[in-house]
Amino acid sequence: MLNGEYGEAVQLAMRIIVKVGEALRAEKLVEVGHVHISGVSYSNIGDPGLKFIEKLASSNTSFRVFTTVNPTCIDLSGRTSIFSMEYIDGQLRINRALEKLGAYPTYTCIPYEIRRPSPNEHLAWGESNAVAMANSVYGARTNREGGPLTIAAALTGRTYYAGLHLMENRIARYWVRIGYELVDEADASILGLYIGEHLDDIPLIMGTGGWSTYMVKEFLASAAATGSHALVVLDPITPENTYTVADNPENITIDREEIRRFYNKYSSTPEIHDDTLVYIGCPHLSLSEFRYMVEVISRYKCVRRGVTFLFTIPYSLIDTTSKYMDLLRSKGVHVAYGTCPIVSRFRDKPGKVLTNSGKALFYLSRLHGLDVSLLGFRDIVERVMVK
Amino acid sequence: MRIFPVEEIVSGECIGEPFIVDHRVSFFGEVDPVKGVIRGIEGSFRDKVLVIPGTRGSTVGSYIVYALREYGTAPKCIVSGDIEPILIIGCILANIPLLKVIDFNEFRGYIRSHGGCIVYRRELRGIVVGERCTDSYRGD
Repeated sequence: MLNGEYGEAVQLAMRIIVKVGEALRAEKLVEVGHVHISGVSYSNIGDPGLKFIEKLASSNTSFRVFTTVNPTCIDLSGRTSIFSMEYIDGQLRINRALEKLGAYPTYTCIPYEIRRPSPNEHLAWGESNAVAMANSVYGARTNREGGPLTIAAALTGRTYYAGLHLMENRIARYWVRIGYELVDEADASILGLYIGEHLDDIPLIMGTGGWSTYMVKEFLASAAATGSHALVVLDPITPENTYTVADNPENITIDREEIRRFYNKYSSTPEIHDDTLVYIGCPHLSLSEFRYMVEVISRYKCVRRGVTFLFTIPYSLIDTTSKYMDLLRSKGVHVAYGTCPIVSRFRDKPGKVLTNSGKALFYLSRLHGLDVSLLGFRDIVERVMVK
Repeated sequence: MRIFPVEEIVSGECIGEPFIVDHRVSFFGEVDPVKGVIRGIEGSFRDKVLVIPGTRGSTVGSYIVYALREYGTAPKCIVSGDIEPILIIGCILANIPLLKVIDFNEFRGYIRSHGGCIVYRRELRGIVVGERCTDSYRGD
C-alpha cells in the first residue's frame, strides 16, 4: 500500500497512518472492524477539508472496511428550515465523494446504534462521543481519531497500533465515588462536563449500575467535550477484561455542592424568552429514545408561542420514523435528519437555548456565542409545552 | 536561559514568541481558524509559538489545524504537554512542527515569568527559552 500498488489515494492514506503511528511509537498497524468518519460538515471544515476529501476520492478505489459517517450541515430530508442552506453545494460534494468511496450514508454521531462494537474489537472511530461509548460501554478499542485519519483508515482498513489499542494503556488511575444521586440526563451531563474538565487521566466511576443508557450517553458525550476522555470505566457497565485498574488509584469523591457550584458557572438560568430554541438530540437520539420522547410529546397540545422545539436524529432513521412526522408537526415540533446545530449554521440565531446535553452546551456557547441552559427532557417539556 | 527537554512529534523549526493558553483546547469550537484566535482569549497566535497543556473535545479538530495553514493563520509551531492523535494528524497535514514538552507545568511557569523567546534546538533535544527573539538565538 505504501508503495502505491493500490493507487495514489491508498498510498497517501497509508503514509498518513504510518506518520501518526511513528509519532506515537507504534510498532505495527492493526486491522479495524468498523471505521466512523468525523469531520464531514462543510460549514465546519470548509474548502480546506473539502479539497482533502475530494483528493482522496479522486482515484479509482473504495473503502476496505464497513464505514459510517457523522452528521453534515444540511437536513437532507428537507423537513425543517431551521438550518441555513448556504453550504449545500459544498456539502453535497463531500457526501458524493464519501459515498463514492463506499461510506454508508448514516450521517449520524451514534454509529454504535448502526453496528454494535464487540469487546476488545479494534476500531478507528472519529466523533468524540462515539469513541467514548465504544471504549466505555462496549469495551471496544479505539483512540480519538482525528477526522482525516478516519478516512485514511477506511481506505486501508487499518490504523496504527498505539494508545487505547493496547491493554497496557487502558488503566484507570482515578477511583471516583459520586456522593449524591443523579436525577436525570441533565445531571449526568453536568457530571460529565465536570469530570472532563477536572480529571486528566482514565477514571473509574463507581455505582453507575442505576444510570439509564440515556444518562450514560449524555455523561460520556459531555466528558469527551470538556476533556480528552476516550475511556471512562463505568462500574459495572464497562465489560470486564477490557481495562485494568492501577495499583494505587487516586481516590476522589464528588459531592453535590461542588457540582452545583460548577453548574452555576456553566449553565445560565433556564428562563424562557420569546426566541428560545429547545434542542434535544445531541448526541442524536436512537430510535427507542425518539419513540419514548414522541410518546411524551403526544400528551401535550402544542409548543408554547415563541419557542422552537427541535429533535435531531440519524439520517438512517428517515424511513422508520416517518410515521411520527404528522403528529409532531401538529404539535409544532421540528425534526432534523442527519444534522445538528453543532455542525451547521442557523438560519436565524435563537436568543436562548434550552437543552439536556452538556456537549451541546459546550459547543453552542463557544461556536455560536449562544446563551445555553441545561435541563432534563421532562423538565423542559413541562416548561415549553402547553397541556 | 534554560533548556527544557522535548520530544519532536512532527518535525521542523520552531522559534518565536510564546502564545500561552491555560486550558486544553478543542480546536473545533474553541479556535476560529480564519482569524487565528482562541475564542475568549485576546490576540492571535499567528506566527507565534502556541503553547497549550493539551487538546480536548472534538475529533474535527484535525481539520481546523489543517485549515490554519490554508487560511495563513498558522502558528510557527505548537508546544503541548499532552499529545493526542487529533493534534498530530492536523499538524502533519498542515506542516506545523509539534513538540511535546516533558515537564509542561514547569515550562509554562518559566516562560510566563521569563517570557521572551522560544527556540527549539534539535541537537539539544530541547527548547531554549531566551529573553527576546533576537538573531543571537536563531543561529544553530
